Formats: sequence, C-alpha cells, structure tokens
Amino acid sequence: MNALMRVAGMMVAATALCAPALAQTAVVAPSGNTAGTYMDYMKTVYDRGTGSELLQVPIATFDKEFELTPMAAESWSQSEDGLTWTFKLRPNLVWSDGEPLTAEDFVFALQRAATSGYDFAWYWDFAGGIKGWKEVTEGTADVATLGLKAVDDATIEVTTVAPKPYFPSVTSLWYPVPKHKVDELGDDWALDVSSIVSSGPFEIESWEKSNNSVVLTKSDTYTGPWSPMIDRLELDPTLNAPEVGLPAFLAGDADYSFLNTGQVPVAAQRYPDGIRKNAVFATSYISYDLDAAPFNDINVRRAFYYAVDRDELTSTVLKDIAIPAGSILPPGYPGYNPEIAAEATFDPDKAKQFLADAGFPNGEGFPDVEIWYREEGGYNGAIIPAMAQYLQAEFKEVLGINLNIRALPGPEWMDGLRGKKNNIFIAPYEYDYLDPSNFYGIFFNGGRHGYIIPEYDEIIAKADSESDWDTRYQLYADAEQLMIDKGLIVPLVHPVTIAVVSDQLTGEGVQPNSLGFTQLDRLGHYFFTHITKQ
Amino acid sequence: MLAHIVRRILSVAFTFLAVSIIIFLMMHSVPGGPFDANDMPVSEAVRAKMMAQWGLDQPLHIQYLNYMWGVLHFDFGVPFQSPGETVVQLISRAWIPSLVLGGAGVLIGAPLGILLGLAAALNRNSWIDYLTSTLATLGLTIPVFVTSMLLILIFAVWLNWLPASGWPHPNRWILPIACYAAIPLATYARYTRSAVLDTLNRPFVTVLRAKGLSERRIIFQHVMRNSAIPLVTVFLPMFIGTATGSIFVEAMFRVPGLGAYFVSSIEVRDYTLQMALMLLITFMYCLAYLLSDIAYALLNPRIRVGGEQ
Repeated sequence: MNALMRVAGMMVAATALCAPALAQTAVVAPSGNTAGTYMDYMKTVYDRGTGSELLQVPIATFDKEFELTPMAAESWSQSEDGLTWTFKLRPNLVWSDGEPLTAEDFVFALQRAATSGYDFAWYWDFAGGIKGWKEVTEGTADVATLGLKAVDDATIEVTTVAPKPYFPSVTSLWYPVPKHKVDELGDDWALDVSSIVSSGPFEIESWEKSNNSVVLTKSDTYTGPWSPMIDRLELDPTLNAPEVGLPAFLAGDADYSFLNTGQVPVAAQRYPDGIRKNAVFATSYISYDLDAAPFNDINVRRAFYYAVDRDELTSTVLKDIAIPAGSILPPGYPGYNPEIAAEATFDPDKAKQFLADAGFPNGEGFPDVEIWYREEGGYNGAIIPAMAQYLQAEFKEVLGINLNIRALPGPEWMDGLRGKKNNIFIAPYEYDYLDPSNFYGIFFNGGRHGYIIPEYDEIIAKADSESDWDTRYQLYADAEQLMIDKGLIVPLVHPVTIAVVSDQLTGEGVQPNSLGFTQLDRLGHYFFTHITKQ
Repeated sequence: MLAHIVRRILSVAFTFLAVSIIIFLMMHSVPGGPFDANDMPVSEAVRAKMMAQWGLDQPLHIQYLNYMWGVLHFDFGVPFQSPGETVVQLISRAWIPSLVLGGAGVLIGAPLGILLGLAAALNRNSWIDYLTSTLATLGLTIPVFVTSMLLILIFAVWLNWLPASGWPHPNRWILPIACYAAIPLATYARYTRSAVLDTLNRPFVTVLRAKGLSERRIIFQHVMRNSAIPLVTVFLPMFIGTATGSIFVEAMFRVPGLGAYFVSSIEVRDYTLQMALMLLITFMYCLAYLLSDIAYALLNPRIRVGGEQ
C-alpha cells in the first residue's frame, strides 16, 4: 500500500512538474552575430546583444507586406511646412519594471545616440535629417539644440532640416532607452540580465555572452500591438551558419535553419513544404575610388558595367542564393525601377569598346588591379568570395585584364574604402528602412564611398524633401540613371536567403507574403510575434 | 634540483616579459583599432571619444606600462567586446566549457591511445596493429570539423541517439568530447607503439626475460616506464592546446567556450583580451615544460640536472 501511495505521489509530482513545460511553446531560432556588447540597439547596432530590438517597442515597424504599422506610436502627423513631425504615443505603455514608458525615453534615446552613442549616429545622420544632428555628433553644438522634443509624456516632436516625407519609416529603428535606468546605472544597464528592462513584446530571461545567444520570454507587461503567440524564444547566433544550423534542425534542436547552396536540394527533398525564401532587400555592387587611375576614367567603369553576365553568375556559381541586380534597389523595394534594371545587360562587345575608348584595347596596358571584399558570415559570406572569383575569370575573358582578389576583415575593408587605399571594391548593403532614400543616401555627399557628385547630391536632396510621391520616385530614378551613366557602381546581385522550416512551426509569420517571401531574417517584430508552435 | 627549478622560474618570468612586449607591439602594429567603422562610417569625434574612454589615445609605452602594472595586480582590464565584465571574469566564465570538453577529451583519448599503442606494439603486424595504425592515421589527418560533422551526422541525425549540438546538458557533451579525444588517441597510439617497440628491442629487456621475470612485470614495470619520456613530453602541451578550446569544435557543437575568443579578440582588436589570452597561453606552456622537466627527472634518474655523472 505504501509503495502504491509513493508511486501515486511521484506521478502527481511528475505531472505537476511536466504540466507547465507542456503548456509552454518554445521556439529555437538562428539569429544575428555572435558578438554582442550591449543589449541596447540605440547604443550599438553592429555589436548589439541578440534580440535587443525585440525587447523594445519601436515607434513603428513594417508588417508582412512591408506596410508601415504604428507600434509605440498611435498616430503621427506632419506640419504644414513639412518640417515637423508629431508622434502620439499609445497610452499605458510601460517598462517591464513597471515604470511608465514616456516620450522622454524616445527623445533621450536619440540624444544619447548623438552624443555618447557609438555606431548608430550615421543612420540618423543620413536617414533622419534631424535638425542639428551633425553639429551635435561632431561636438560643436549642445544636445539641447537637436530638433527633438518631448512635448508631454505622450507626444514627441521631431524637426528636420528639410521636409522628410518618409520620416515615419525611418522610425522603424527608433527604440526607446530606459532613461530611469541610464540615470541609475549609465550604459551598464544593458550589460546584465538582472538590470535589463524591456518595453517590447519580449522580456529577457538569460544571455550567454560567449556566443551572444539569448532566451526571451513573452512579456507580461507589454500592452502594444502584436503580442507574441509563443511563450519562449531562444535566439542562437551559432545556428546561423547553415553548416551548423541544418544538422541541429535535422536532429530536432532548431525550428528552422538557413541553407547553403549544397543543402537546398537535400532539404527540399525531405521537407518539400518547409522551404522558404526571403529577398533580404540587399545589393552587392562594385564601387571604385573615382579619383584614382584607371577608374577615374568613366569608360573603364562603363566597360566593367557591361562585362558581367549576371544571369550566368546567379544561375551557376550562385545557384539559389542570389538573383541578378541591375540597379541599386532590389525588386519589390519601393521605387524599384525595372527599366533601369533592364539596362544592365551583358554586352561583351560594348564592354570591349568602352575599354578600347579608354585606351586599353583588349585590355592591353591595363594595370593589374586588386578587388577588395570584406570577410563576413551570413549570406554575404556565401555569395561574395565565389562571386569575386567569377568576376576574376569574367574580366579576364571579356576584357583581357588581370583582377586579383583580396579579402579583408570588416574594419580594414572599411578603412580601405573610406581612406581610398584601394581603387576597386565589392560592397554589400542591406536596407535599414523601406524607402529609396535609404539606398541612395549611402552615396550622398561623400557618404559611404567618399563619392562627391554635385549633380547627384542635388537630385537626392530634392527627392528627399519632395512630398509628391510620384515626383519623388521620378527624381530617384533620375539619380539612379545618373549613377549608371557615370558608371559609379556596377550592380551585381541581390542576395536571397533560403531556409527550411519545421512543420511544427505554424502561424501567419511562416506563410510567404504576396511577393513569395517569408521574413525569417528581417522584420523580427512581425515574424516572432506571428508564429506559433504545435 | 631546487636551483634548477629556481632558474627555470626566472626564465619563465623573462619569457613572460619578452612575450608581453612582442605581443603588445605586434597587436598595435596591425592596422585598425577596436572602434573603427564596420559597415558605415563612424565619425572621427565618436571614435576619438571611445579611444580616450579606454585610454587608447595615450602613447604606446604608457599604455604598455599601465597594462603591465595592472597585470602585476592581476588586473587584466576590461574586454572591449564584453564591457560588463573584466577579462579575468570573461576567461574564467568561457574557459569552463572548453576545459570540461577539451580536458575530458584528452583524459579519455590519451589512456585509450596508450592502451591501443601498447596492444599494437605487443602484437606487431597483427590485425590490432593495423587497426591502430589506421585509426592513428585517420585521427591525425581528418580535420576536426570533418570529424565533428561525421559524428553529428551519424549519432544525431541518422541514429538520433544524441543531440546534435549545444552546451548546458551533459548529454550534449558526448559528441564534442569524442571529437576532442580523436587527436590525443591517435597521437598517443602512435607514440606509444613506437616507444614501446623501441624499448622492447633493448638488451635490458632480454636480460629481464632471461632472469625469468613475468612478461606482465616486464611490460608494466620496466618497458612502460622506459617508454614514458616521449609520452610525458607530449602530454601537457597537448592538454593545454585542447583544453583551451578549438574554434572549430566549439563552432560545430555550439559550445560557448574560450576557443572563439582567440580569433575574435584579434579580429576586433580587443587588445586587453588578446594580451590576456596570449599571456595565459605563454604562462601555461612555460609551466608545462617546467613540470615535464621535473617529471623526466622523476621517471629517469639518468636525466639529472647539475652535471653529476
């Protein structure tokens, strides 16, 4: 009898222990990069803790169809002169420690980014156009002069130097920073799980700093839109490499995995319904030092533009992981212009002619050049090294020139680009917000490549503040045409990521959108709040 | 003996100092710094502010002296890539998984290798000898990332006996330990086989046999002891190399260990961590050779220090 009682007791205890576990839905997903310093997007973007964006609620974000959706903001409006945007926050927004989330936290986030921030000032410099931004970041003006104001607890006012009709989409990367925590602990609030507070749909449970993996849980205090349907979310950057992710997926340790070219056929055969694609809205292109020989000659640059067989490149060496790029804007992106993209044909005769016009018939007398690319992981790591070798062979065959290849770590590559230490580069860029100004902004007024093209800058400045959207898109198309005609870049490919998703993962998030894309690697706010697990 | 040890400790201190200067200079002579732009330009003002915050705007010799002064007080600074903790905290946290997996790999692999090598030497040209040679060659020539992939494929994906990767739960340790064990197993099998064969052919073994000692005593008491020198030489460096983690094994098995920090600290110019890791390795190797020296003397009275014949 005693033994029976004991068994029964153990069964009750076991059920009690198991019950909460059974009720929980936990998703394990690959994510981001393995180095994370602060769990604070507004402190550092490139070295942020995994999931720091999911912990906070942005002013607005993009949904499945890339439509801008209000999040922390309830509504927004632009002043008559177009220079001031007013954002009204939702009522009852709170931090996970119970403190109210106010307009002050959003204003403070940007004031700090402009003063003691690290690598996020550039975004607000080129995208935001907030009054006084440049002066404050350079330390020549006081932070109080920034065009930012918390009018009351629920109202933010932003003043820009010129009308910025697309400003609301820029706010998709505007997260609040808990001022009360920074007042107490400084930036260190974002270093330890015990002091990290959140305002978004998820809270943090643990953070393994050795590989920047995190366990997030559904927030109890979040009152904004898009509450998660899952209880726990484990984001693990070590699963990001397909070589590690797929075996873990196959062994049931991960709910989805990105795939490399070799893995696609295997995964497609085993999980015919589980394959998902995403166009990451990114472009890889060739850029130059426009002042250095031989690329100071527009004919040389035009020759390179026509010497690339993008279809062959993407159908052979880059099978499944990229599509041809004819313009800086990817297909489906606002302002994408198919006619301009169609100009980027493979035309060996034209290419040879341009090179001959530059004084190098059949490549004779052309100096050996070295193309620099950045060593990195993710989709670029799969595409760029292979592409560089393809270009090497292609330029030899079509133009008769010798192109050497050099891979450099990120900062050295960037230093080479900015300091013009080399004359030709492969550069990848992924969008930050959905507006053409994002991609064109990287070439504006020196920008990322140190290009100073007054004609181009003039069109971009005009387009940025144009409130009529058709006129605006036309201006951007003019700018793109100018880029092509002047041979400023050679658009190469737009990356595509392919993943395999477990059939246990369901919900609207894993269903492809109208363009056929599933947002497994961007739009985290949408994706992770719209999935569930069986 | 004591004088020898003191001399060795002094030479360790000198090596330590020399390595610290060389690493420090090399580290700073590589172009770039920890707060350079990664994808988009970082303004000069911001960069200067960050450099000043970490004392990187001071002349190099001042930075070196400041650093070494800290080291004397066991303060290795704060790693740039993990600002919430000290370098010592980071290393002691990240080293645990590497030590557990790598250490267990060597401690399991080495004895197995010795046993295999011994069996091969005692049964020369038998199937066990050929098996040992094959295993040893495979273990030394197949790169660890291939071994890990094979282990994952067989035991996690096909047989579904074990999880593919991950850290916290001990059942996730089995595959990486097996992977780590392959190299010491192969190395020890080879070394033991040749050392034992070498000793077996020496005249004293014939004498022992002639004296009528049992084969077991001859092997374990005399042959093994006389073959131990190369095995001791290999052990500590191998233990250090493995127990500080391999970036490949740790990446394949998703182990939050120390291995990746050796590479990332150089990549992101994390000077404080880079210095500390190099000094740690230097210190451990110096210590390892010191201990090996002492072990030689204990194992073999003919290796005596001080020139007494």
